[in-house]
Amino acid sequence: MKWYDRITTIDRRIIYLLLTVLVILPFFVKVTIPQKVMPQTQRLFDFIESIPPKDKAVMISFDYSPQTQPECHPMAKAILKHCFAREIPVIGLSFDPEAPGLAVDALVSVEREIDSLAARKEDSLIYGVDYVYLGWKSGRIAAQLDMGEAISGVFPRDYFGNLIDSLPLMQIVKNYKNIAIVVILASADYPIDWIRYPQTRYGVKVGAGLTAVMAPQYYPFVQTGQVSGLMSGMKGAAEYEKLVLEHGYARTLGNAETGMNSQSMIHILIMLFIILGNLGYFFSRRAKKEK
Amino acid sequence: MSGDPWIWIGAILTLMIFSFLYKDNPFYKFGEHLFVGVANGYYIVYYWQNALKPNLFEPLSAGQFIYIVPLLLGLMYFARFIPRIAWVVRIPIGFTIGWGAGLSIPALFQADVLRQLEGTVVTPATFSNPASGIWAVIILVGVVCTLIYFFFSKEHKGILGHTSRIGIIFIMIGFGASFGYTVMARVSLLIGRIQFLLGPWLGLID
Repeated sequence: MKWYDRITTIDRRIIYLLLTVLVILPFFVKVTIPQKVMPQTQRLFDFIESIPPKDKAVMISFDYSPQTQPECHPMAKAILKHCFAREIPVIGLSFDPEAPGLAVDALVSVEREIDSLAARKEDSLIYGVDYVYLGWKSGRIAAQLDMGEAISGVFPRDYFGNLIDSLPLMQIVKNYKNIAIVVILASADYPIDWIRYPQTRYGVKVGAGLTAVMAPQYYPFVQTGQVSGLMSGMKGAAEYEKLVLEHGYARTLGNAETGMNSQSMIHILIMLFIILGNLGYFFSRRAKKEK
Repeated sequence: MSGDPWIWIGAILTLMIFSFLYKDNPFYKFGEHLFVGVANGYYIVYYWQNALKPNLFEPLSAGQFIYIVPLLLGLMYFARFIPRIAWVVRIPIGFTIGWGAGLSIPALFQADVLRQLEGTVVTPATFSNPASGIWAVIILVGVVCTLIYFFFSKEHKGILGHTSRIGIIFIMIGFGASFGYTVMARVSLLIGRIQFLLGPWLGLID
């Protein structure tokens, strides 16, 4: 068998094995591949950076499921750390039925981290004052439009069963007038509804953190300004983690930054396989023609 | 190594699914069927507890009889199973399409057409920054050439042929970027699982 035939018939299990080795390696061998922050991630960070403390709230729509947790969960934690460090109130909600458990996990783990570092009691986070999680709602388009009138009309109780009107934060945040931006962290086509309906009717600012599969279809919306900033996949999450760390809003990097080292190595391997596959294809085609 | 039985269940199921990479086997099949069953059970319970019960049955039992209207509309969907009255299903479908179209058409036109067209228009202000000016021209050329590629009323010859070929280049670049992002997304999922196996399960990483 010629070399070019051999490289086009590599057993897929060998490729899987190589991929696995390269994913694991960066966790044990210190490899640092520098990540450049993309403009759309920077724009989202800058937007949140421009919100005055204790003024308007940031609404985060947690709309990702467990299978896309490695991409969206680090985004959620990074953006929560950013908001809480800048004393920006956060209102969480979900339209994906698989998301509430993950949303609560992100909120609770960030709250624990901030509370463990708090020097004074006032620096720790209080549920209902600094953040609220509204829970899940069906019929998302109607819900998104109705929240323009009154959030309490759509979510009379929060995820934990508290009456919305009994929460101090929700006495200030009544509708989109009190929301600086809605950031949608999603693994499906959820942000488009926010752009089409609440943004068109109420002028709501929209930001997004999407899985890498979803991201390309939202670049046109970033270009037109309909999306004020965008985190794309694990790379976007790693970039946001880096910005949060550089500005002193976190003490350590999150999971996305660690994962990006594996990601970069896999990309190099995949590029190598694409080149080898093409070389094998062209040489075997030429050999066939010569015969 | 973790002492939490749930972490062990998660890890064993992950390995069962990964075993398919070697070849199809009963462990993979068990993991796959369990996932489908659990996912269905989760969705049924979730929708009952968080959608049907609070939004329909609780208001009905509290005497808000207006909720009979959505209940009837919902029940009409099941008419499809009875051939004699299957036509009834057109009523809720008509209602949904009417509501959806009325709501979507103006919003979609505003957000997806007008604003996107606005983003394509090149004005003298675009050239205030040379880099943004160049990008704006590239976007304009890309949009026009791609639209011409999908214009089938005239044979793609001459200028139309040249521009549609440029359109193909833009489409291919778009496909390439999407494919690259898809690879990145799939690898991210693998990294997430490996992080779970090495961290919470085996305790080898933080």
